[in-house]
Amino acid sequence: MIQELVDQRLVIVTGKGGVGKTTIATALALQSARDGKRTLICEVNTKERVTHLLGKPEVGAELTSLDENLWAVNVRPQEALREYALMILKFESIYSAVFENRLVRYFLRFIPSLQELVMLGKILYHLKEKKSDGSWRFDRIVVDAPATGHAITFLSVPQVLLDTVPPGPLANEAKWMRDMLTDPKTTGVVLVSLPEELPVNETIELHEALTKRVQMTVSVVVINGFITPRFDEPTPGLPPGLATLAHEHTARAALSETSRQKLATLGLPVRLVQKLFLPEFGRAAIESIATSLEGRK
Amino acid sequence: MNVIVEAVAESSVLITVGSGGVGKTTIAATLAMRSALEDKASLVLTIDPAKRLANALGLAALGNTEARIPDETFRAAGLTPRAPMHAMMLDMKRTWDELIERRAPADKRERILNNKFYQALSGALAGSQEYIAMEKLWELRTHRKYPLIVLDTPPTAHALDFLDAPNRILDFLDNDAAKWLLSPALAAGKIGLKLFNLGGSYVTKTISRFTGTETLQQLAEFMLSISGMNEGFRERAHQTRALLEAETTAFVLVTAPMPERIDEAVYFHTLLKQNKMKVAAVVVNRVQPPVHDSLWREAARLPESQRRRFEQTLKENEFLATQDARGVARLRELCAPTPLVLVPRFELDVHDLKSVWEISRYLWGDARLELGPQAR
Repeated sequence: MIQELVDQRLVIVTGKGGVGKTTIATALALQSARDGKRTLICEVNTKERVTHLLGKPEVGAELTSLDENLWAVNVRPQEALREYALMILKFESIYSAVFENRLVRYFLRFIPSLQELVMLGKILYHLKEKKSDGSWRFDRIVVDAPATGHAITFLSVPQVLLDTVPPGPLANEAKWMRDMLTDPKTTGVVLVSLPEELPVNETIELHEALTKRVQMTVSVVVINGFITPRFDEPTPGLPPGLATLAHEHTARAALSETSRQKLATLGLPVRLVQKLFLPEFGRAAIESIATSLEGRK
Repeated sequence: MNVIVEAVAESSVLITVGSGGVGKTTIAATLAMRSALEDKASLVLTIDPAKRLANALGLAALGNTEARIPDETFRAAGLTPRAPMHAMMLDMKRTWDELIERRAPADKRERILNNKFYQALSGALAGSQEYIAMEKLWELRTHRKYPLIVLDTPPTAHALDFLDAPNRILDFLDNDAAKWLLSPALAAGKIGLKLFNLGGSYVTKTISRFTGTETLQQLAEFMLSISGMNEGFRERAHQTRALLEAETTAFVLVTAPMPERIDEAVYFHTLLKQNKMKVAAVVVNRVQPPVHDSLWREAARLPESQRRRFEQTLKENEFLATQDARGVARLRELCAPTPLVLVPRFELDVHDLKSVWEISRYLWGDARLELGPQAR
């Protein structure tokens, strides 16, 4: 596992849309599983991609074993609400009688972000779960979290609820979740970015929002699709087409370097993942990324 | 005629949709800019707080009111607009507050604005961004005389959130349960919902175990105080839906050609179609153009030490070009008969009107990106 995340049991991967969050989250989960840690990777109510990347059939909302030490689930609100309610109510029959009541359903929809709360609740519940021998059911959970704006909303739900609802069962739930998310010994955030101006700026804003507003700890920044310079010195006498080719590559590499420097100002470790040119963005790519994330070898 | 030219000519509202990180905001700005250049005044309404777009448009920052793009910005890029172009950024919290101030009865305004549930709803909570974007669009469409409004939608993880926003409000108001719960209390003019009159009933007791009694009570209060606005909301939700379905409203679906973006775009396209929305075009942004054979021949003539680096670069570009061409072909097949418009990958980020103009040439069909045989 990445050195900065060795002790963290909850790893939350987020960043701007389209930067490769799922790829990095999957690589981290794979790496964690290989370290012998029982690892669960969670997607949050999205079109499932983790299983595709690993070349496995879709798992849906059913927590499923994918590989040695590796489990996956796509957390969806409806199923999460049901599980959560059952945990509190204990009996299936009460659940059906109450939660399938039209009136109740109607009311529940208007509790702010109940959907997000139960999804987060399910993820964090698995983090607390123990086997009969007293050891953790999962040593580590990797969350492929939503993109920037939705991530902030998602991760602030416990705090927003604490500010909104009066003391009671809902507030109690929100409190332990908030405490777990903001405990740096338990939880580390991985920010994924691309070596381009917009994603870099958004990463810096996201870092600010997560650390100041949500009070979480960011452990590491990953730059995905990094380009290392290849044409270091200008070559005289090139045909114009090739000169342009070299120039474009140099410009992209320069942008990668500028991005790296700008992200380095956050004062966090920055890991580089080289841009990959692989035909099927599947298992092979994930394995190669997992290795390069470990770095310094 | 080019599909984009046609869509701009026929529409008074264009809505760009797509997943995050595909260049949706840039495409929205491009549509508005070129429209103004072609003599149709425009407004681009974005939710993207990135300063860069503001800077590219020659504005210090974008705010909750419309700002006109200065002529100097156009001149600096060698362009002359024939009609004004405006831009604004949606401020969620302020738009919500304005909505309440306009619609709530005077005696309830403060109570609503101070209610914690309202503050959570308007500030940070999921789904309200999508709803308020629709609300602002309707307001601008109705009270301002822009021949073209381009709405850059929030980057949704869930396509339905956006299409569904007005419906959700309607659903809320048309729900029998709501009427049943609220009407007796309204008639009595005080808080005393039936639900709580049920007292120690089985159902009430069970949800209280889940949420706490006080939470239910406060939520009920909030619902009661906004219930006076029901009619207004209902009417507005119907109007917004009608605006989305209008002949003069069209969607422009923006995507990138990588495999994972394609799946999302197709999913989005299907949803729009199922909802009977008019999709003018699918804009495929940042497509890698094919590598000319002449470059390979030139590289082969280079001395060994240089050749390898150039061939490696050509190989990488060719890989991307092939992958993109395959993506474009898949999109063409799965989104048929919606036309595709291809925009090539530009070397650097869009940072001034000049680069926006370059993109517009591909949208308007002045320039065309030809793909290799794979895409045909």
